[in-house]
Amino acid sequence: MLSWSSQQSETEIDLAALARGSGDVGLPHAKELLRYATTAARLDDDLTQMNEARQALSAAAGEAMMIDAAAVAANFHMMTRLADGTGARFTPARLEASASTIAIMGTADMVSKR
Amino acid sequence: MDVPDSDFGSDGWGFESLRTHSKSCRANAGADPGCEPNARFHASDRWDRFRYRAFMDVRADLLDAQRSAWDALTRPGTWWTGPQQAELAATALAAMTSACPLPPWTAPSTVAGFLADDLVAPAAAHDAIYRVAAHAATLTETWYEGMREALTDLAYVELVAIACNVAAVVAFRRAAGLEPWELSPPFDGEPTRTVPPDLVDAEMNWVRVTAPADEKAAVVQAFTSVPAELDRLWTLAAAQYIPNLEMVDPLWTRGTLSRPQTELVAARISQLRECFY
Repeated sequence: MLSWSSQQSETEIDLAALARGSGDVGLPHAKELLRYATTAARLDDDLTQMNEARQALSAAAGEAMMIDAAAVAANFHMMTRLADGTGARFTPARLEASASTIAIMGTADMVSKR
Repeated sequence: MDVPDSDFGSDGWGFESLRTHSKSCRANAGADPGCEPNARFHASDRWDRFRYRAFMDVRADLLDAQRSAWDALTRPGTWWTGPQQAELAATALAAMTSACPLPPWTAPSTVAGFLADDLVAPAAAHDAIYRVAAHAATLTETWYEGMREALTDLAYVELVAIACNVAAVVAFRRAAGLEPWELSPPFDGEPTRTVPPDLVDAEMNWVRVTAPADEKAAVVQAFTSVPAELDRLWTLAAAQYIPNLEMVDPLWTRGTLSRPQTELVAARISQLRECFY
């Protein structure tokens, strides 16, 4: 969806930077968003990095954007459990269409690939 | 405005039956110096290492969707009673917030003292929701088939939904810096046991779905066998991510995140959770 939305909005992005979790993805506030999403992927009680990432994002982009980023993170904590819990698969056509993204993101080796 | 619950800090219901979990986790901590004891049962001091914001502007649709999903965790569902749902939600919460979860190949029910003796939900259900909550990426179809045999497939689907609802609320409040919510006391009543009349096997999911199968994306059809959870899921998704009708618009925005920025966060969370889908 990131590749699609960036193409459709004529925004050039660097998926490899996203996959690494560092570097210039090519979007406004991408550095702060990437750091925030990286720390939000955990749910344990080590909150030091989460607090720092939240403050950095709020300072750069405002609290409203931080809240909406938190909501998106929450959604994908939910949807990833739904997808893996119910054995969700892509159609062969969708897999083929996503081949380059899968290669750049390095997701082909994930144990959750079905 | 999101106002912290007045009862935050109390030892909320839902965790009594799992108190021995913390004892077990302390034993694990001894084996791994970097592993802290599971602190789920000390919720009052778990997340207080930073100062919570007393008030924060949270969209009403988002707050309402999450509150509704959270409240449902202690009410009779389609296949689980209120006390069973609350107990399973507590296990999911413990699993996903633990710094030292059991490994994927170890079911909680096989660890002496990990689960209490007086559980109201079957031990297999606790095993299942623990795995979905803590190690979803490691699930296999063979494992699912075992759980389907033990629980029935529709009860399993509702169990996955419980884990999803817990994850959504916990993740949001942690990321936003808001106080965690406690589960309320459970409600009595019987599950509806509603079975849609048109269930069929699917190619794109392990679980059965309503006909016609495989005409929509796998995640869209995944919960169709439990309509109450399907409705809850898409209400949450609309508030947390993008309303369904706007999904095809690459320029849609609430005025904060652009669509590519939204997808950046989504992609990074999915990648780190090792979700291929």
